[in-house]
Amino acid sequence: MNDALVDRISGGLGMLLAGSYILSAQGIEDSLLADGVGASGVPMGVGIVLLLASFFLFVKSLKNKAAMDELPHSGETEVPAAKGSKHPHAMALGLILILASYVFLLPLLGYVVSVGILVGAVAWFAGARRYTSLLMCSVLAGPLLWLVFDWALEIRLPVGLWPMWLGK
Amino acid sequence: MDSFLMAMSNLASGWIILSAFAGVLWGIFGGALPGISPSIAMALLLPFTVGMDATNALVLLASVYVGAEYGGSIPAILIRTPGTNSASATVIDGYEMAKQGRAGEALGISLMSGLVGGLFGLAVLVLCTESLAKVALAFTPAAYFSLGILGLSVIAGLSSGSLVRGLLAACIGLMIAFIGSDPVSGVQRFTFGSEDLLDGVKPILVMVGLFAVTEMLVQIGEPPWANGGNASTRLKLPNWAMTKRLFKPQAIGAVIGTVEGVTPGAGGTIAAFMAYSEAKRWSKHPEEFGKGSPEGVAAPESANNVVTATALVPLLSLGIPGSNSAAILLGGFLIHGLQPGPMLFQKAPEVVYGLYGGLFIANIAMLLIGLVILTPCMWLVNRPKPFLIAFILALVMSGVFAIHQSIFECGLVLGIGVLGYVLRLLRIPVLPLVLGLVLGYLVESNYRRSLLISGGEHSIFVTDPVSAGLLSLAVLLSLYTAWKEFTEKQDAKS
Repeated sequence: MNDALVDRISGGLGMLLAGSYILSAQGIEDSLLADGVGASGVPMGVGIVLLLASFFLFVKSLKNKAAMDELPHSGETEVPAAKGSKHPHAMALGLILILASYVFLLPLLGYVVSVGILVGAVAWFAGARRYTSLLMCSVLAGPLLWLVFDWALEIRLPVGLWPMWLGK
Repeated sequence: MDSFLMAMSNLASGWIILSAFAGVLWGIFGGALPGISPSIAMALLLPFTVGMDATNALVLLASVYVGAEYGGSIPAILIRTPGTNSASATVIDGYEMAKQGRAGEALGISLMSGLVGGLFGLAVLVLCTESLAKVALAFTPAAYFSLGILGLSVIAGLSSGSLVRGLLAACIGLMIAFIGSDPVSGVQRFTFGSEDLLDGVKPILVMVGLFAVTEMLVQIGEPPWANGGNASTRLKLPNWAMTKRLFKPQAIGAVIGTVEGVTPGAGGTIAAFMAYSEAKRWSKHPEEFGKGSPEGVAAPESANNVVTATALVPLLSLGIPGSNSAAILLGGFLIHGLQPGPMLFQKAPEVVYGLYGGLFIANIAMLLIGLVILTPCMWLVNRPKPFLIAFILALVMSGVFAIHQSIFECGLVLGIGVLGYVLRLLRIPVLPLVLGLVLGYLVESNYRRSLLISGGEHSIFVTDPVSAGLLSLAVLLSLYTAWKEFTEKQDAKS
């Protein structure tokens, strides 16, 4: 995507976000303890600044496409060019689905099993094909991290529905 | 003098040395795990200090703080995951250096800058506690508001060349900061009926999502370590030439960290970002910032390690805990029947001097432990990419769950990771977003409190001398940045 198009999309999305944010801020109820500014005052101000900044970006991209193409931007804000993968966005989407599945499975299967599945699935999806290593990592990841968080840091991790399934 | 000699004899007993080393080791471990904040790492040890001698217990807790603030920079540099909030500014150039195969150099700079900052902060704590306590007392709500505005004035320096995009990102950060209870009236805002959002969105969740999850979403679509990965697996401490080059950013970090540290509520995150921005402003090589500049690592690391000592100034002298970590340390004092405040120096001087001595040892322990563990850490991140991505995500998700044992927050971090991915596609810098998020509460709550005090008169922000000074500084810095950008563009055109 060229810079002008990126700015047009950014400006458009920004205006959309600002509009819905201002509408949402207007709906904030007033409290009896409210001060002169009120709970919605500062958010409204930020929404308006966002609206103006997005509008500026949008208009500038329309007016000065050539100049926008020359705007400098550092590597920090760019998605690096994926030389090896033909579908970097599809890969990212796949990873999002795996992580979403982990969040869904965590309360059902418990921490140890869910983390094992997460590690195995992500490593396989990222290109690991040595199945012995995959299996070992999947089996060891859960207990290892459980030791760190539950045993050493005393943070209670979800056990899932196993006690119910096992009749305990 | 007798108390000082007593403290020195305590140091020679060995228990304080042991407490300092154990505390730093535990702190680095906790700080390096995303989601385990310094205060959580300290709180986990608090029950164990009950039966300990007061000085040893306080040295142990303070050493955890020192270790955790340093430990947060290790994953920030190696895997773009800040272990603590204040390490997020270190990500910018630290991770860039790691991508260029200079992870060992970045870690060495971070370690030495942390040591310099820690020792400078300790010197300030020992020599200036009484006078600096007056600075903390001079901060009214109006001054806090202006401090927040001063923090926001560095957005231009973090906007990667486009102020409008930076402003857009900062607004999104502020919007996230406004989620939850209104700071004045307690009304719920932008929670969409979700009980999980009543308490707002914790900055660490946003940082882990924006930095770590987003990076993994990008890395999964890339070939195995296309940039050479972290080719160097040896720790490289700065040589003399580099040490001389790092002096200025470290000094900038030290000064900013001192001011932010003694100000209750300001904290290491704001100090780190401001130090980064100022180091870039005064650098001979500003063009290297964001692309792997050693100065970009030194300034924030120096600043956030200074804060570990200077944050104790308001606690020891006034009894005011300026941060969660200081509050846990206050708990440590109270458990042992000690009340921090002006009388502490009269009633238990041996504890205060013992704590000073313990903090000195903690900084030395940080150096020694760092020298031992950093090389294995680099080896770990050079494992095959698919397994590394898998373990980083497992660690990140586990750390996020550990914060509040909330599955909702795991989903939230994933959502923020997706937001970070979209922002990258749109070339919107995320650092102003983080700054807006961190400063949102400070700015809004103190703006409204000031107006309540003044009866709605905005003149309070210029009639309060500290506030007026900070606002003037913010205006001067913004004008300077604008002028510099303007002249650079003119030069480029000509």
